[in-house]
Amino acid sequence: MPPEMSDEEIVRRTLLNKDEFALLIERYEAKLSRYLERLGVGIREDREDILQNAFIKAYKNLNSFDPTLAFSSWMYRIAHNEAMSFFRSKRARPSIVLDDEDRDFFAEMRDENSDTSEIAELRLSREELEKAFSKIAPLQRDVLTLRFFEDRSYAEMSDILEVPIGTVSTLLHRAKRALRAALPKPFEL
Amino acid sequence: MIMEQKKETVAGRVLARITNEHLVPRPRWEFIWKNYFFWTLGALAVAIGALAFSAMLFEIENIDWRLSVATHTSLWSFFLDAAPILWVSVLALFILVGYGNIRRTKHGYRYPLAVIALGAVLTSFTLGGAFYAAGFGGEIEEAIGDHPPFYRPILLEERSWWLAPQKGLLAGQILSFVPGTTSFVLRDLNGRIWNIEGDELHSADRAIAAQGGIVRVVGTPTTATNSVFHACFVFPWRTYNAFFSLEGFPVSSSTFMLVSSSSSERNGAVARNDSCKGIRPYEKLRAIDEAGL
Repeated sequence: MPPEMSDEEIVRRTLLNKDEFALLIERYEAKLSRYLERLGVGIREDREDILQNAFIKAYKNLNSFDPTLAFSSWMYRIAHNEAMSFFRSKRARPSIVLDDEDRDFFAEMRDENSDTSEIAELRLSREELEKAFSKIAPLQRDVLTLRFFEDRSYAEMSDILEVPIGTVSTLLHRAKRALRAALPKPFEL
Repeated sequence: MIMEQKKETVAGRVLARITNEHLVPRPRWEFIWKNYFFWTLGALAVAIGALAFSAMLFEIENIDWRLSVATHTSLWSFFLDAAPILWVSVLALFILVGYGNIRRTKHGYRYPLAVIALGAVLTSFTLGGAFYAAGFGGEIEEAIGDHPPFYRPILLEERSWWLAPQKGLLAGQILSFVPGTTSFVLRDLNGRIWNIEGDELHSADRAIAAQGGIVRVVGTPTTATNSVFHACFVFPWRTYNAFFSLEGFPVSSSTFMLVSSSSSERNGAVARNDSCKGIRPYEKLRAIDEAGL
């Protein structure tokens, strides 16, 4: 199998032979598992269940995949919606779970700020960052996660969250402001 | 052994489930139809909103707000009575339904709320204007407006405002009027016959009365048992005939001529008096009367 085969090509092939779907699963499993963890699905078994349901749903709805948007956005959307259903069934939405690598988040966020002169050198522990995230609204956490941890563009975020691009921009702006307010004073962005 | 390991992965479990549960991708036509379905529902909702808007335009055009000084104590109370609330509600509801359905289409989420809502409103208004111009407004008001138990078409409501002789308001068909006299006979919208004293009427009012047809008469308040009504102003009522034919109106012009020619028992001229000056919106009504409706 050529390594450069596009997602869209694999989708076409999967419609002819279901075994091809394994390629897509293997391509996205780790990314989506990480994304689910960042959304707050902390237990590995739960993540696997959600992923399994998400892939099954993707397979069943493969004919509804719109090639005008990226397959990754479509797959993230399904995983996102599955995670939201999971949280609803649990009637709880845990806070974000970060690892040390995620501390680069602020470097990413800093790049988006127009006035970099006011940005302090950030040395936050993972716990401090998680604490700040726990103080902001879930939807704001979601947009920050997609933008800065998952490196999604505004258009991709629009497709994943199923909201207009303008709304993504507004949500992101508000999320950054909320996070800024939630950070300890010396670390204000 | 390799198979066992494969089953342990998410991919293995997903493929096993697909095989065991005989899962297959849903056919493409289902999604295409679903998309068309929501677009159709959205378009239908906007079209219903447009029909509501045409009915609203019909009401606004036909209700005579200028005479609200006679029928209501304030413009606000007139607005509360005359606002086409049913149609405004239907329009708002179906614009919302239209928005909800368009939002469910394949790319519906990409359009901002304001764009979809404004598009739905503008489409409803444009289409509604066209329906109204084509004459659907009155048809809808007549066909639908009379059915909900909680709603009475505004034009029927307006009729009731003009069946209040105790408030000095009367509307009906002129049955007889002989030039040179001041009184005429009128059958009100409930079918009751009134002798209308017109000695205080200006020549313009008399000219309107002389034309016959359905008129509105503002006069001095009288008791319900009295059959004589002292008129101060006469205004023509050019309204949608269907609302009158619903209740047996109007009387045809040939009937008018017949009754006119046999009106020898009509009241004679009454001494001119100034009782009209006492009615409350006299000056405003005089201004309307002089400007002509």
